[in-house]
Amino acid sequence: MKAVNLIPADQRGGSASAKGQSEGGAFVVLGVLAGLAIMALLYGMAHHQISSRRGEAATLSAQAQAAQAQAQALAPYTSFAALHQQRLQAISQLVDTRFDWAHTFHEIGRVLPYGVALTSVHGSIAADAAIAAPVAATPTPTSTGTSSTANTSTGSTAAAATPAPAASPVTSATPAGSTPIFTLSGCATSQSEVARALQRMRLIDGVSDVELQSSTKPTGSGGSGGSSSGSCPHGNPAFSVQITFSALPDSPSAGSSAAPAAAGATPAAATAPATGATAQPASATTPTATGGS
Amino acid sequence: MTTRDRLVVMGLVAFAILAAAWFLAVSPERGQASKLGTQVSTAREQLAAAQTQVTSARGAQAAYSTAYASLVRLGKAVPPSDQIPSLVYQLDQASNQKDVDFSSITSGNADAAAAAATTAPAAAGGFAQKPFTFVFNGSYFDLYHLLNGLNRFTLRTASGGLQVTGRLLTIQSANLDSNLTTGTGGGSGSSSSLGSSDGELKGTITATAYVLPTGQDVTDGATPAGPAGTTAQPATGSGSAAPASTPAVVKVTP
Repeated sequence: MKAVNLIPADQRGGSASAKGQSEGGAFVVLGVLAGLAIMALLYGMAHHQISSRRGEAATLSAQAQAAQAQAQALAPYTSFAALHQQRLQAISQLVDTRFDWAHTFHEIGRVLPYGVALTSVHGSIAADAAIAAPVAATPTPTSTGTSSTANTSTGSTAAAATPAPAASPVTSATPAGSTPIFTLSGCATSQSEVARALQRMRLIDGVSDVELQSSTKPTGSGGSGGSSSGSCPHGNPAFSVQITFSALPDSPSAGSSAAPAAAGATPAAATAPATGATAQPASATTPTATGGS
Repeated sequence: MTTRDRLVVMGLVAFAILAAAWFLAVSPERGQASKLGTQVSTAREQLAAAQTQVTSARGAQAAYSTAYASLVRLGKAVPPSDQIPSLVYQLDQASNQKDVDFSSITSGNADAAAAAATTAPAAAGGFAQKPFTFVFNGSYFDLYHLLNGLNRFTLRTASGGLQVTGRLLTIQSANLDSNLTTGTGGGSGSSSSLGSSDGELKGTITATAYVLPTGQDVTDGATPAGPAGTTAQPATGSGSAAPASTPAVVKVTP
């Protein structure tokens, strides 16, 4: 018996049937269409982003411009606040770098022993050589100008104005790093009292060195009343002492790192409220007291 | 051309079409969107910066009255000119309060060279220095109290603020000497001048006052109503701001 193929001749071929007559071209077209659809979707999304971002950018720019205009209108207030801050800081810096003279005088009165009297106290602030600026920046107080004199008129002082650091925006007459130096002259009832006074002077706030310059007992005095050498009667020794204080500290408001050594040890004027509250000199330790004959 | 060749060609054509669509349409659009995104973030940053400026300026506007009063007060410590009369008045008042005789004041700025030197710090942006020499007569402790009083013209308070009641002075030297001739007779107790009966001393003080740089005003042209360059407008930042006409009697705080 002879087998007969009942499949039509144009449909014979097995797996090639899915390709159909286009030989797979239809799949390619479909793929292209799907790709184009995806492209269209991406294009649409990007286009939407463009339009929305364009609007957002315009809105933000307008808001920024409005805010800038507002800030511009208020700029004088900002400048004024900056001026206020600047001046406040400058004055604070000057206040902080001052030496507290009153406290030092109070301390001298506090520590001097009973048998010692002072004839003169000379204090001046010498600028540290390391920080000294050109002297031309600071006039000296020795020049005489307009003078209003009630009783006596003085033209100059022993201490010259201290030069100031040029780098600082505010130039203090006593810049940080300056060293206050006091020279005390006086009389004591004995050389022992002079030694005691030297010891006591080291107790003064901020003192870094106490140096005896001289302590001279007048020779050949009769012992009764006359003062021969110096100004001390009764043959009492006349002494002279130099007290050197620690360098003036840098202002905390200055914000610089040029703080000298032993900052805070010197009685700066910044501590004035505290010292003012306690500055009640005891009469028993006044420098006017002497040991008597 | 075989079927396989035909398929390869069709695939290449399809790829070319899609690539062309990507490079000609989609990619430029996406690039523009990305560029606009950068613009938007830049605009946002600008807006934030401008808003910060506005906030700061509004704060300054709200605090204007206080700052103005404070600046006027600071002008008492560092005036725009020598203002020697007010300095003499302040020194006289302080010495009277401390039972000290205010003997003399010598200004050091009349000399031409010194005056030229005085302006140097001003050019550098700081205050110009005006040196003075004062002579007072009084007892040791009266002079000590006077020095304390001079210091307290402009004072740093415990809270860190500045209290300004007078001229800012930096004392550079202080010399206390006897006002009397030494060598008293046979007196027993008072051997030296400081130990004399009245204890009268001559205190010579060298101090420096400060003035604003040339051309600078205390308030830089500002008025109680508003700073220079603005039309007077009330502060709107906060209700706690003092009125513009607040007198300058406040303590200066940083």
